[in-house]
Amino acid sequence: MKFHGILIIFLTFCPAVSFASKMVEIPTGQFIMGDDNDPYATPRHKMYLDSFSIDRYEATNEEFKEQFPEHSFWKNAGSHPATKITWEEAKAYCIKIGKRLPREEEWEKAARGDDARIYPWGNKPLRKKAHPFHSGLIKRRVGLNKKDVSPYGVRDMAGSVWEWTASDFYKKKITRGGLWNFHLEYEYSKTFDRNLVAPSNRLPFIGFRCAR
Amino acid sequence: MRTLGKITRRLFLERGLWATALIFWSWCRGSSNAEELHTYKGTDYIGKTREGEYKNFYINFWKPMRRINGETWELKITGLCDTPQSFTLENFKSFTTTTQSSRMKCVECWSARAQWSGFSIHELEQIVQPKPEAKGILFHCGDEYKEYLPRTALNQDQVILAHSMNGKPLTDAHGFPLRLIAPSKYGYKNPKAILEMEYVSEHQAGTWSKIGPYSQDGTILPGTDHPLEFGKEPRRISGGEITDY
Repeated sequence: MKFHGILIIFLTFCPAVSFASKMVEIPTGQFIMGDDNDPYATPRHKMYLDSFSIDRYEATNEEFKEQFPEHSFWKNAGSHPATKITWEEAKAYCIKIGKRLPREEEWEKAARGDDARIYPWGNKPLRKKAHPFHSGLIKRRVGLNKKDVSPYGVRDMAGSVWEWTASDFYKKKITRGGLWNFHLEYEYSKTFDRNLVAPSNRLPFIGFRCAR
Repeated sequence: MRTLGKITRRLFLERGLWATALIFWSWCRGSSNAEELHTYKGTDYIGKTREGEYKNFYINFWKPMRRINGETWELKITGLCDTPQSFTLENFKSFTTTTQSSRMKCVECWSARAQWSGFSIHELEQIVQPKPEAKGILFHCGDEYKEYLPRTALNQDQVILAHSMNGKPLTDAHGFPLRLIAPSKYGYKNPKAILEMEYVSEHQAGTWSKIGPYSQDGTILPGTDHPLEFGKEPRRISGGEITDY
């Protein structure tokens, strides 16, 4: 009985670390990509994708350090998303574990499903103020927010951090995200939000997840 | 006719209207000649202002401070380094000068671009030789502001100790005689009017991070910018240094 109790507590509080390597299969089919009201995401259009798999969680500091021992992070941040990583390093990590970075259309479908939703969980923000009165980045254990789940069960696609994708636009890489803080505008990112970032940048708000 | 003491109601209303008009006129006059209201102009002090010439590059200070005398000023390098010492403005003339155009992005949402000239921290570190355990620098400023940056951030490209702005020595308002320019960080991580740089072994919270809702890291986040020279017209930014405009 006591053992079961300990097991339940363990499974309740440590799922992200335990299951971080699990992938989610996204089925073949059409979905809606883009948004006509966002100049960075226009036009809204239909797109067909073959099935693919994507990591349920963002790569964590501990996972990244396993492949690249020189990776350093703050104490107790082992299960936080791995950040301050360049695009090349993220790509190298994925290749090293037999995966690849997702293309941006794959990322969007994994977050948005096939019903063109604005947020992974639906069309309304979870809260108007996600973490008010703070201008900076608050990183937490991946998968901690149990409501930030896409229709396919992929986690942290509206909050947490922005993520590198394999796609580029001119000389910049497309990041998708991501952050539950648009500096002083406390709102989760939308499924079609995109950001262009120089691949050599090593920023505290950009992490990644892999696909296959 | 009803009277209010010796003042008739008509007279009271007339005078009231005149007084209102006078207040309105002086308010309009004040805003069109804002430079005259610059609190610190002509004084021995400098402090926060958005008036006159600073409409296109706002000035923030932690506290009003006495202007620094460049002839007596010395930059003290202290803490965990092998050869702690002080530098005068004259000493910096032998340093390799680098000039760059960088946008200063304030956490208050505005930004402004300028051309900054100065030298890299590396130039200084070749002389003072920080110890291996020195993880970062705590900046002590003339307005009692303190800010910490790790050495990994300070030794990145585009991070300089600036002594000039737009081809001229820094003005008092912009942080004479020396300020840090770290373009990927919000303005509060760009300390100015630096008096002392202290090498420390552990991360420390700066003044703003201690009292305000500001992150200790201070990297510019994705969001919206309101550049002053473009009439605060909102622009999307992707985070980190703003290079697009």
